[in-house]
Amino acid sequence: MNALKSAFRNPPLLTLILVILVWIVASLTLRGFGAFGHLRYLLELSAVIGIVAAGQTLVILMGGIDLSVGAVITVTAILLPLISPDIDPTGLVGIVLALGIASSIGFLNGVGAAYLRVPPIIMTLAMATFLQGMLVIVAGGSAVSVTNATVIWLGQARPFGIPAGVLLWVAVSIVVLLIIHRMPAGARFLALGANPLATELSGVSVKRNTLLLFTLSGFFAGLAGILILGMNRQGYVGIGDPYLLTSIAAVVLGGTSILGGRGTYAGTIPGAILLVTTTALITVVNASPGWRSIMFGSLILALLLISGREARR
Amino acid sequence: MSATTVPANLYAAVQKRRNRGLTGLYLVVAAFLVVYAILFPGLLSVGGFSKFTQNWFPLALVTMAQALMMLNGGISLAIGPMVSLGAVIAAVTMGGPLGVLGGLIAVSVAGLFIGAVTGGIVAYLRLPAIIVTLAGSFIITGIALILLPRPGGYIPDWFSDLLAGHTPVAFGLLVLLLIGWKLYLATPLGLGIYAAGNNPVGAFRSGVPVERVKVFAFALSGLLAALAGLFVAAQTGSGDPVIGTPFTLNSIAGAVLGGVAFLGGKGTMRGVICGSLLLSVMINVMFFLGFPPVAQYVAQGLIIVGAVAIPQLTSQWRAKP
Repeated sequence: MNALKSAFRNPPLLTLILVILVWIVASLTLRGFGAFGHLRYLLELSAVIGIVAAGQTLVILMGGIDLSVGAVITVTAILLPLISPDIDPTGLVGIVLALGIASSIGFLNGVGAAYLRVPPIIMTLAMATFLQGMLVIVAGGSAVSVTNATVIWLGQARPFGIPAGVLLWVAVSIVVLLIIHRMPAGARFLALGANPLATELSGVSVKRNTLLLFTLSGFFAGLAGILILGMNRQGYVGIGDPYLLTSIAAVVLGGTSILGGRGTYAGTIPGAILLVTTTALITVVNASPGWRSIMFGSLILALLLISGREARR
Repeated sequence: MSATTVPANLYAAVQKRRNRGLTGLYLVVAAFLVVYAILFPGLLSVGGFSKFTQNWFPLALVTMAQALMMLNGGISLAIGPMVSLGAVIAAVTMGGPLGVLGGLIAVSVAGLFIGAVTGGIVAYLRLPAIIVTLAGSFIITGIALILLPRPGGYIPDWFSDLLAGHTPVAFGLLVLLLIGWKLYLATPLGLGIYAAGNNPVGAFRSGVPVERVKVFAFALSGLLAALAGLFVAAQTGSGDPVIGTPFTLNSIAGAVLGGVAFLGGKGTMRGVICGSLLLSVMINVMFFLGFPPVAQYVAQGLIIVGAVAIPQLTSQWRAKP
């Protein structure tokens, strides 16, 4: 009983238990769900959301929110094939350039939030709107195919039977968890989210940390964009749109407070898997798009009631 | 609490303070309107004015809906889907046995009901509005898709002509709405929106029914968004399950331009109306100047950042000795 109680007080653990339960029940009742290939596919899809949500988690921990991740993904996925130089057979130059662009978009978000004092939600929303227009003007709005070798390897290769995207996700997870829980920077982020004024008065620079966080969010969104591009082999306008709301949902399902200051990336990881599993289960049930949408929304709401409740203050 | 016992000069002082941050906005809107009238002199005729206000009207409604949420200290990501649902319900019911009046009632009830349920979840189960409306947006979109899987339905021609014809009916409705808002603000529930949004604990301690205020504000917000959908359906003559999608972002943009603060309790409806007007005129002016449609997004992004950043920066500079 005590163990159960502590599980309910520990949202990341609760979400993880939910994922395991859903996987066990679905494997027993649905033929093919428990197959290694299918579960691996689910993890591969989760990796994309998980990587986007890495940046989103960091920003939300600080009490902000990044509504531009979808646009950043689209920008990366469309610009990468266009800026990869042909003389570079590995394609690494293109990746570095694309990640640089994604990070600078994040940096600009940070400048807006820190120096222009625009609330993050508005700044990133405006950035998303701005990018949406710029992209069509710059790239013309048609789909582009990718020939970059590294990107395709990232999206398609399976060293030791594990998709490269999942390996990338593991690496990202380790880095982000270390940042949040083992580095002074992580403590500063959490402190900023809990009480910005007190944190600033104790000598932490709000501006520098805001810049850093939004740059990281842009970087991770760019990374996810590259992964999506590799999996799709094509970039088009709108490719990143579905990941905006799902990244926020994954963070919140993982028990991180949307108000900032409380939470961990360890919850976002099962949160992302849970989200993808839910979507997969809804697809299995043969329903019209309308019912699917209703089920998805209701499930998010139900899961929130279990794991995402704000503490009474 | 009653406003009638307050001396008139205090009322004027309060109103002056509320208008202070909006002077710049009024000037910008006026400038844009002048430019638009020069580019398109037809604006000054009855027909041109009617058409212009009809394009503006749904945006004004959703911006008011969003502002209601933001005054509460939340934000709604379900405004667009709500507009779609309003349009779909109108298009499905008005051709049926219910008729136009029945359709109008159905749209209003759906908007009030969904808004109230959302508000109930937010207020009593203590979930953040942004997430509840995020989940709600999927549910509402689903309902709209089930009711009308592809664009269609029927709106009687006379009804379309009445709302979106060559008479400024839409503008008249907007004026009525603003009068209604003033009256609502005179009730405890309306006044409570500002109190509960600004300082929920303080408001609760002074006897404001914070939860009930929230539910009512959410219900009104849902009603406004659904009615915007009804109007869009009348404009296009049919329903479309995804027609409202752009309204979510535009409603936030309009409310932000109108000076509504994100933390709740700060902002005025007259500012909100001006914000939506600015957005609408801006789009029209850019169209007349021959910009490509996507350039509108670029400008919109820049203007939103500017609208928030410039007052912040000027107040900072003023504060420095």
